[in-house]
Amino acid sequence: MASIGITAKIPFDRLQENQPMKTDIKDMPILASQFCGMQFDTPLVLLSGCVGFGEEYTRVQGFSNRDVGAVCLKGTTLQPRLGNPLHRLAETPMGMLNSIGLQNPGAEHVVNNILPALDFSETRFIANVSGSTIEEYVTVTRLFDDSPIDAIELNISCPNVKEGGMVFGNDPLMSARVVAACRAVTKKPIITKLSPNQTDIAENARLCLESGSDAFAVINTLMGMAIDTENRTPIIGANQGGLSGAAIKPIALLKVHQVYQVCRHHNIPIIGQGGIMNAEDAIEFMIAGAAAIGVGTALFYDPLVCTKINAGISDYLKQHNIVEISQLIGTLTIN
Amino acid sequence: MHLESASNIKNTHRGTLLVEDAEILSHESLPGQQHVLRLKSPGIARRAQAGQFAHISCGPELAMRRPLSIMRVDKNAGWIEFLYKVFGAGTKLLTQRSVGELISLIGPIGNPFSAHTEKPRTLLIGGGVGIPPMVFLVDSLKQQKINNYKPFVIMGSEVPFPFSPRPSQFIIPGMPDAAIGAMPLMEDWGIPSRLASRQGYPGCFEGYVTDLARCWLNALSRQQQNEVEIFACGPHPMLAAVAKMAVEYSLPCQVSLEEFMACAVGGCAGCVVEVKTSNGPAMKRVCVDGPVFDANTVFPEESR
Repeated sequence: MASIGITAKIPFDRLQENQPMKTDIKDMPILASQFCGMQFDTPLVLLSGCVGFGEEYTRVQGFSNRDVGAVCLKGTTLQPRLGNPLHRLAETPMGMLNSIGLQNPGAEHVVNNILPALDFSETRFIANVSGSTIEEYVTVTRLFDDSPIDAIELNISCPNVKEGGMVFGNDPLMSARVVAACRAVTKKPIITKLSPNQTDIAENARLCLESGSDAFAVINTLMGMAIDTENRTPIIGANQGGLSGAAIKPIALLKVHQVYQVCRHHNIPIIGQGGIMNAEDAIEFMIAGAAAIGVGTALFYDPLVCTKINAGISDYLKQHNIVEISQLIGTLTIN
Repeated sequence: MHLESASNIKNTHRGTLLVEDAEILSHESLPGQQHVLRLKSPGIARRAQAGQFAHISCGPELAMRRPLSIMRVDKNAGWIEFLYKVFGAGTKLLTQRSVGELISLIGPIGNPFSAHTEKPRTLLIGGGVGIPPMVFLVDSLKQQKINNYKPFVIMGSEVPFPFSPRPSQFIIPGMPDAAIGAMPLMEDWGIPSRLASRQGYPGCFEGYVTDLARCWLNALSRQQQNEVEIFACGPHPMLAAVAKMAVEYSLPCQVSLEEFMACAVGGCAGCVVEVKTSNGPAMKRVCVDGPVFDANTVFPEESR
């Protein structure tokens, strides 16, 4: 049963199902929007690495992929990867570290066995492409190009693999080369996931944009460490991990603001992500310039958080007489 | 190697986990920083099976919930019960929650224990916070009267047991003289049990749970041994020792594992364990691929 929060506008095709309307639809703001030519039913995007290959959270009663605009699938490489040793998680103040290490069954398995099982009528599915060489990014992108996937997210910012990943993401010229090479083999929308672990994220965005990126995901996790004081060893098996959760929200917000200064002139949308836990956080990111809102770690605490964020955004829009979310994006007035 | 393929699970798994705001009915503090928490959670109580767990929100300050094994349920009264020991920030915070407060639960999660009717002599071994799922399993086995399970329960603890041991009414062949103490709940249920500890607690066997289990197994005839299946939950070294023992006696053995957990619904692959499969090593998620695994797949070293 789809549920989008009682005050949100429900798209027409869903009205025809069995949704009782509790409020007058004429007064409702529109949560749906276009993102790189894709129809997002709500501005929320479930983030790569948090929701497996799109079906895992549907275990939870009351959760529906229809409550989000898109779902980013688990980071996928050409060959299968076992991922990193234990522990892969450590809780930190208002957040957590993870180092999964891109555990995945390989691109061919994903395309041949997983994508056919997904229900593309529920939401948009975005592949997350990772690699250790430019050739690997290209090969995986090509595999997804020849699939029903809606868009491709280039993960040039994974902090948890030794080779590739962030090595590309922290060097703007390398980032741009990955984007250009993948751009050449697909017409599907390319979303580049930017690393916060670099000096000038806006310059990176500018080069990627010139190389053909259609959108950006801002930000990936920040590098961090936690230490077991009894054993005097890092808690994370791979020693370091990516920090996520409420703790990183102010950093993510600033990075979105910075990247938006580049993107605004080119009509390039941003998925703002990093520590978004509730509707107010989401609205902050939209004001800073995010056209869509990534939800990841918040799901771990509350698997039903998406309906609450949708409802909260809708309430805010209504209170401020905003008809659709596009009127809110990037409306920050700088002091 | 694979995250579970979506094609295998679709349509059967949807909507199987509930999110419930559960009222605390009782919260009892026991020696050894152990606590028994009973919650009103009718949906999870109705669905829960032995070996499953719930993912508990200890407080909004923490980004991660905590997985706790379900110890008992009353489907009719709609409550579920947990035993936990204070281990870190989450469980410490949990101790401060009092009767009447609401706690958010996700559950019941994971694959339950699966007993086989051709192996009616079930040997249940619980160590420390591995005791709770064994209590649930006994309760479940004794209700399946038609299958005539004959459970024997061994519990181990290096802090005082979360109950007052009582001299057992059952005479068990092979038991050392000192091992007379039993868990009162098991006695009331008519299920034989024995206790092991290296702390010299009265009535308890002084040694490891596996030492006591060997005494029990050695007193069985060959034919009786063929009817034994082992179920275990506890610290990793204990499970490794149980797995080794199971191989020695050629007995099937299921173990319940734990690991740091973020989503607990299979989404993040944070809680994996390396498992031996016919296709080579694989990283399986403790939350939804487990927490119950065949011992020989997670302890291949002990199987050699």
